[in-house]
Amino acid sequence: MSEQPADRGRYLFAVARGLDHESLTGTAGLRGAALEVVEHRGLQAVVCDVDLTEFGEDQLKRNLEDLGWLEEVARCHHDVVAALASAGAVAPMRLVTICSDDDSVRARIDSVFAALSESLGRVEGRYEWSVKVYAPRQEQGATVPEARPTSGAAYLQRKREQAAQRRTTGEQSLQLAEEINQTLTRSVVASRVLPPQDPRLTGRSDTMILNGAYLVPAQDADGFRDLVRRLAELNPTLEIELKGPWPPYSFATLD
Amino acid sequence: MTESPRAPATSRPYANTMDRPSYGPAPANLADILERVLDKGIIIAGDIKVNLLDIELLTIKIRLLIVSVDKAAEMGIDWWRNDPMLSSSEQGLADENRELRRRLEELEAGSGDAQDDE
Repeated sequence: MSEQPADRGRYLFAVARGLDHESLTGTAGLRGAALEVVEHRGLQAVVCDVDLTEFGEDQLKRNLEDLGWLEEVARCHHDVVAALASAGAVAPMRLVTICSDDDSVRARIDSVFAALSESLGRVEGRYEWSVKVYAPRQEQGATVPEARPTSGAAYLQRKREQAAQRRTTGEQSLQLAEEINQTLTRSVVASRVLPPQDPRLTGRSDTMILNGAYLVPAQDADGFRDLVRRLAELNPTLEIELKGPWPPYSFATLD
Repeated sequence: MTESPRAPATSRPYANTMDRPSYGPAPANLADILERVLDKGIIIAGDIKVNLLDIELLTIKIRLLIVSVDKAAEMGIDWWRNDPMLSSSEQGLADENRELRRRLEELEAGSGDAQDDE
C-alpha cells in the first residue's frame, strides 16, 4: 500500500489514449469528486477518489441491491465514459472497478496492457450503435373469429393450424432479424449480438428478437443510419430501433 | 423505425466529430446503460471483487440483465416454440389420447385384440 488512506479507493472509469485533459472539464466523478488522470505507459487512466465505506466490498454488495444507488453510479460512470469517448480512444472499465491506489491502477494497466492497446486501436474514431429489432407478439386467440367448429376434432384441428401459423410467423421474424444483422454486420467494422432484453425490462408487449451492437467509424454514421432506415422500410412487419452513438462499450471489453 | 430522442440543449456535444446536429449522446435508458457497463460482468474485478451472482439483487431488473447472458432462448424470444398447441408434452398427450381412442374402438368392436401395435 502506498500513501492512499486505507478508507479511500480509486474508482477506475476508463483507460484512454491521447487524452486531452481539457475534455474532462465540466465532468465530475462520483459524489462530486474531481476526475484525475493516472498516466502510465502512454495511456491515461481516468479515476476519482471514492470512500470505501461506500465502495468497499461488503458495502458494494449491499449498495448494488439498491436500484437508486446503482442508477446514480451507472449514470455517472456513463457520463464520464461518454465525455472521454467524445475526445478520443477510450476503453471503458466495468462498473465499480476499484483499485486501492494509483500504483494498483498502474499494475492493472500492466496486467492487461496488450489487450488494452489492441482495444484502443480497434475503437479509435469509432462509435457503437445499438439496433434492436422487435416482432409483434401474436397472442393466442388473437386471430379473427371464425365459424363455430362443427366438431371437437375440427376445433382441435383449427387450433393446431393457428399455432402452426404463429410458429411460422415467429420463425420468419427471427430469420428476417438475422438477415438484418448480417446486412448491418457487412457494413461495419465489427458487430456483437447481445442477449435480447426481457419484456419485463423493455416494458414492451412485443418481443425483442435482435439486440445488436455495431462499431461504426464516426464518418460513416450517416450511412449507417440510412442503411438502418432502409432496412426498416424493407421490413414493415418488424420494428427497428436505432440508438447511438454510444461509447464503444461492447467492443473494448478486456475479457 | 424509432430513433433516440434528441439531446437536450444542455448536454455535452458528445459526438462532435459528426457533422450533423441531429446526433445526440446515447439516450439515457438505464437498462441500456447497465447492459453495457456490466457487460458479462458477473465478477467485477479490481482490488475489490464483487460477484454479482452472490448478490440477491432485490432489483429484478438487474437480475434479468445478468442472468440473461446464456438464457436468451428462455427469455421469450422463442415464445412460439413453446406454444402449448405444439409443445412436445401436449403433442404426447394428443398421441396418447388418439391411441386410447383407437383401443376403445377396438374393444367396443369386440375384437379384444390389445396386442395390436403399429
